[in-house]
Amino acid sequence: MPSSYHPPAVLALFLDPSSLLNAIKAVREKGYRGLDAYTPYPVHGIAEALGLKISWMPRVTKTMFFVGAGLGFTFEAWTMAWAWPLNIAGKPFISVPAYMPVTFESGILIAGISTFIAVFVAGRLRPAPNFEPLDRRLTNDRFGLYVPVRPYESGNVQSLLKEMGAVEVRDLA
Amino acid sequence: MALTAEPPIYRSDFTLTQVNKDISAAIFRKPNAWWWGGLLVALGMLGIGSYVVWVQLHVGLGLLGLKRPVMWGTYITDFVFWVGIAHAGTLISAILFLFRQRWRTAINRSAEAMTIFSVICAGMFPLLHIGRTLIAYWLIPYPNTRHLWVNFRSPLIWDVFAVSTYATISLLFWYQGMIPDLATIRDMHPKPLARKIYGIFAQRWKGTARDWHHYEAAYGLFAAICTPLVLSVHSVVSSDFAVSSVPGWHDTIFPPYFVAGAIFSGFAMVITVLTITRKAFSLEDYITIDHMELMAKIILATSMMVSYAYLVEIFMAWYSESPFDTHIYIWIRFFGPYAWAGWLTVFCNCIAPLIFWFRWARRNLVTLFILSIIVNIGMWFERYVIIVTSLAQDYLPTNWRYFAPTVWDIGTFIGSLGLFFTLFMLFARYVPVVAIAEVKSVLAEPVGERALLEESRA
Repeated sequence: MPSSYHPPAVLALFLDPSSLLNAIKAVREKGYRGLDAYTPYPVHGIAEALGLKISWMPRVTKTMFFVGAGLGFTFEAWTMAWAWPLNIAGKPFISVPAYMPVTFESGILIAGISTFIAVFVAGRLRPAPNFEPLDRRLTNDRFGLYVPVRPYESGNVQSLLKEMGAVEVRDLA
Repeated sequence: MALTAEPPIYRSDFTLTQVNKDISAAIFRKPNAWWWGGLLVALGMLGIGSYVVWVQLHVGLGLLGLKRPVMWGTYITDFVFWVGIAHAGTLISAILFLFRQRWRTAINRSAEAMTIFSVICAGMFPLLHIGRTLIAYWLIPYPNTRHLWVNFRSPLIWDVFAVSTYATISLLFWYQGMIPDLATIRDMHPKPLARKIYGIFAQRWKGTARDWHHYEAAYGLFAAICTPLVLSVHSVVSSDFAVSSVPGWHDTIFPPYFVAGAIFSGFAMVITVLTITRKAFSLEDYITIDHMELMAKIILATSMMVSYAYLVEIFMAWYSESPFDTHIYIWIRFFGPYAWAGWLTVFCNCIAPLIFWFRWARRNLVTLFILSIIVNIGMWFERYVIIVTSLAQDYLPTNWRYFAPTVWDIGTFIGSLGLFFTLFMLFARYVPVVAIAEVKSVLAEPVGERALLEESRA
């Protein structure tokens, strides 16, 4: 199955986040790239250790807030002042203060939905009834480190990871 | 070390495995008699409500106590009551998150669930109250054969947008926060079919560093957009009243007063429900008495704000020398035909919560539970007082009439309680009631990020 395809790699399991962090540093120092860490909860410092860029989520939220708010206001102005201008209690057709609540709510609605979708896109999340994780304990109480290796390097990497405190090391063919 | 002055949030001997086991226990074992009993009671109440609504849809709004001049009765009261309850969940999940209040991890999941369920309950009432429920979609602006649009200058339309946005965003925020925990359940569940079902909802969450990286960014952003959202929602709800020119409603203090009241009643409901939940699912070590005490403190603080708003209203009515304002704010509510409701509100919302000045009262489950019920009653009657008394005696004395709810009013409210508790019972059975991943992250860094900072400097 293409979704479960991965290059030859080593998976190491740790008992605590600090050994995982140290192992990431050690493995990266040896020049290995494309690492990924599996943790049951967000561990601070892992993104920096793996050299991940700042998440692009804030840009989505910020942009889509202004897009949503702009659409909301434009829609209000269009319906109230252009499509069918009704004189309501002599108020101006474009009543900016009265339009603000809906403008704001539209911005929030679009920003929130976009952020939600962005998380799914970024993590390639989708409903998966038959999904089987690399190790079931990774969402429970183990911290995993995934190191893509060339086949002949596996032994070296395994012993390095054991040295760094891995309780379990195995090849993922 | 100054840092240790902050007490640990959870027991220091807890392990990750233990947390997993304790919190998910309710999902894996068969529910006990208490759960079945509770579900049956809730379903019974929901049944009463469904019958009442069914009859009312056939017969019409005339069944309710609504008659001129009181055209907004208990349905609008119920609506504001439920929207108010919803606010505590968002306050806990968003505002306390931004303030780095780590004890929120114990209660945020269940409080957010309450937010969603109470918004569902709230949304039901305006739809019934418009009288022609089948054409409720006219509230939404859409291109139609009459070429007419909704009036965007009306607070009632702001309300449609505010409440529906609030419901949508709360649901997305809640679900997004739940994905890692659903994945945990997926990976632990012994039954293959259940693994498949949780697998669908866990969205192949793997817990990789990249996943968490984006997840955490999105979580913070959701908190950041929910904070102004939650404040705007009840402000908009209060504008339904404040923008009108009815004495008793036409009041600039309404938005902050309503928001404080919403948080006040919401936390009371959180205490009511969690007192039972922590007992029923043996979560006393997670939702500890310290957390209950902190919620009692928030109730005390918001009770003070609400009392202050009452006083300002009365003072302004007297100071304005407007005979209409004095009549509504002072005469009807505290001496006239509705004095019983006015004083009940003052007792429940201003006087009774004062007991939380005492530490023993904040740490005693019995006082907490009783007080939370009192506050719930008080906040319902606060809205009743605001809505009904302001309308009952309008500018034309020949219209004056004493409003009394009928059994149908009461039946629908019972139905909404039934809906709320049914949904909550199902939630508590199938979803982790405490955010597992968040509790784990607090276990790992018991005294907060400052400790990590100190450590990294050292």
